[in-house]
Amino acid sequence: MLLSDRVTGGVIATLGATAFFYGSKLPPVPGQQVGPSAFPMVVGAGLVLCGVMIVLGVGRHFEEVAEADVVSHSTPEELEPLPAWRNWLALLPPALLIFYALVSEKLGFLPTAAIMVLTASLAFGARPKLAVPLAIIAPFVINLIFLKLLRVPLPGGLLPFPW
Amino acid sequence: MNTVIQAFGLVFQPDVMIAIVASAFYGLTVGALPGLSATMATALLVPVTFYLSPIAAIATIITASAMAIFSGDIPGCLLRIPGTPASAAYTDEAYAMTRKGEAETALGICLWFSALGGIAGTLSLMLIAPLLAEMALSFSTYENFWLAMLGLMCSTLVARSSPIKAIAAMLLGLLITCIGIDNPGGVPRFTFGSTDLLGGIEVIPALVGVFALAEVMRSLTEREPPKLENRRLGSILKGQWELTKKYPKQQARGNLIGIIIGVLPGAGADMAAWVSYAMAKRFSKTPEKFGTGHPEGLIEAGASNNASLASGWVPALLFGIPGDTITAIAIGVLYMKGLNPGPTLFSSQASSMYALYIIFIIGNIIMIPLGIIMIRLASKVVGAPRSAVMPVIMIFCAVGAFATAGNNLFAVYCVAIFGLIGFVMEKNGYPVAAMVLGIVMGTMVEQSFVTSLIKSDGSILPFFSRPVSSVLAAMTFGALLWPVFVWTMRRLRTERPATA
Repeated sequence: MLLSDRVTGGVIATLGATAFFYGSKLPPVPGQQVGPSAFPMVVGAGLVLCGVMIVLGVGRHFEEVAEADVVSHSTPEELEPLPAWRNWLALLPPALLIFYALVSEKLGFLPTAAIMVLTASLAFGARPKLAVPLAIIAPFVINLIFLKLLRVPLPGGLLPFPW
Repeated sequence: MNTVIQAFGLVFQPDVMIAIVASAFYGLTVGALPGLSATMATALLVPVTFYLSPIAAIATIITASAMAIFSGDIPGCLLRIPGTPASAAYTDEAYAMTRKGEAETALGICLWFSALGGIAGTLSLMLIAPLLAEMALSFSTYENFWLAMLGLMCSTLVARSSPIKAIAAMLLGLLITCIGIDNPGGVPRFTFGSTDLLGGIEVIPALVGVFALAEVMRSLTEREPPKLENRRLGSILKGQWELTKKYPKQQARGNLIGIIIGVLPGAGADMAAWVSYAMAKRFSKTPEKFGTGHPEGLIEAGASNNASLASGWVPALLFGIPGDTITAIAIGVLYMKGLNPGPTLFSSQASSMYALYIIFIIGNIIMIPLGIIMIRLASKVVGAPRSAVMPVIMIFCAVGAFATAGNNLFAVYCVAIFGLIGFVMEKNGYPVAAMVLGIVMGTMVEQSFVTSLIKSDGSILPFFSRPVSSVLAAMTFGALLWPVFVWTMRRLRTERPATA
């Protein structure tokens, strides 16, 4: 997930340029000099400028100072790199949220949340002895909080809340 | 006087009282867990406040954030892991005290001086806000524009990263607010034909994604923090009164610096703690003792970050400009509850404002007994397995965003996307706090910018010729050029020994 400054700076500059051109195409408000296109164009131009400067490595010095500061505050074992696959594991929570958005209405909140908690907790390295009871109890308690205290009905689906 | 009595009536309601106590415990718990910040605690609370009365909603935000800022000191003292960024400045000092066997005193200082600082900050809020409100009534869109810009620029200064990346992150936030039809021309912008995007990106799903989901993602890629051994602690408040009498100057200076930094738009508790710690060292008679477990810096910085928390509400209430990420969330809640920030809030909603002060005072007073309970329970709370806490937080991210957006699943997608954006940005040194301030303030910046330009027929002269706005403009450009100045100074300092 760590990208080089050239990549992120390039993405920012491209985004800025797109915003600038898209903004310049917006229809003006009749009889006024400034309309909806002004702001996206200014922001877009700023992004292009920042992106180019990031690609060129301007301001990198400040990051080095901050990084050295972090290193001096950490214990040696914290700095040992973790295996690379752990980085990809970070994609799991957003994937599970998309899973929630896709199936919660059909499947219902309780089963969907149970699957999510179980998967996430196992990914964090929990033993099934902890993960399974958690996956059963936590969605139930959350549903109770939202339904009874906040009066928000959560999707019932196949397995609606029992009361 | 009548409004004050009314305000007490508003606060001493059963629902507000329950909200204060419950959010206090919540804030203390989340703040004490390493890796869960005060901002995350506040962001996850927003969906809950949606269903509370306005005063109860504000009470939960105020209490939870104050408690979380204090309890962030607990893992800092005991494990050398700051619970919140605001305690990072003095974590080493507090941990050094613990190693010397003075954990009680260190925790006591954090608690006692946090509470005193919080009360000092509240008094300043009560004093400064109405005074500034009168001045702010004469502000026009030009001044508002510069104030917002100053806030945005300060937020990029506070970020401990490359200032260019911080500005890029802030501009990205501004660009995100361009999405939708809520703009001067009322035309759909950047919607790509999607009806969900017409309404724009809601602030709350973005906040929850960036501050809560991204943290869950990050902790998946990191090692579990070390466990806290069960430690028997003596009396927490013993000796604090002596310290209060011994270091009155440090305390007063910490409070004052905290208040000033809090009032400044864009700068908040983190910056207050760093500046105050540095000040304490600079003016100390025994600077060599700093870093070895010396109470002076701890007192000054501990008081300072809590003082800034209250005074940070001054720009938030007056102009809708957040002092830090926590007040950025608070502003979202204020709008949601119909208490739109602005100088007129102090006349039209005077009783609500007094209620807010009262809640701040109550919060800082109950911080002492509840904080002692929390310190006693710390070894149990801090030891809660990450594999149980994080999945539950993830579910809260999904359900909370879903509930605030009127049961719209689009919000859940937003949380997922912003979680991803926040995670990638943080990993590559782009401060997400700057982006969030951009998202919160974007609409206001655009409105004041475009309205000003329409008024002046496209001329930018009035932005600089009006007296107040010229001062604000100078401050904004000062903030913009400050990193260049710092860089030159560092360059000169490193070159001098080489040439000599």
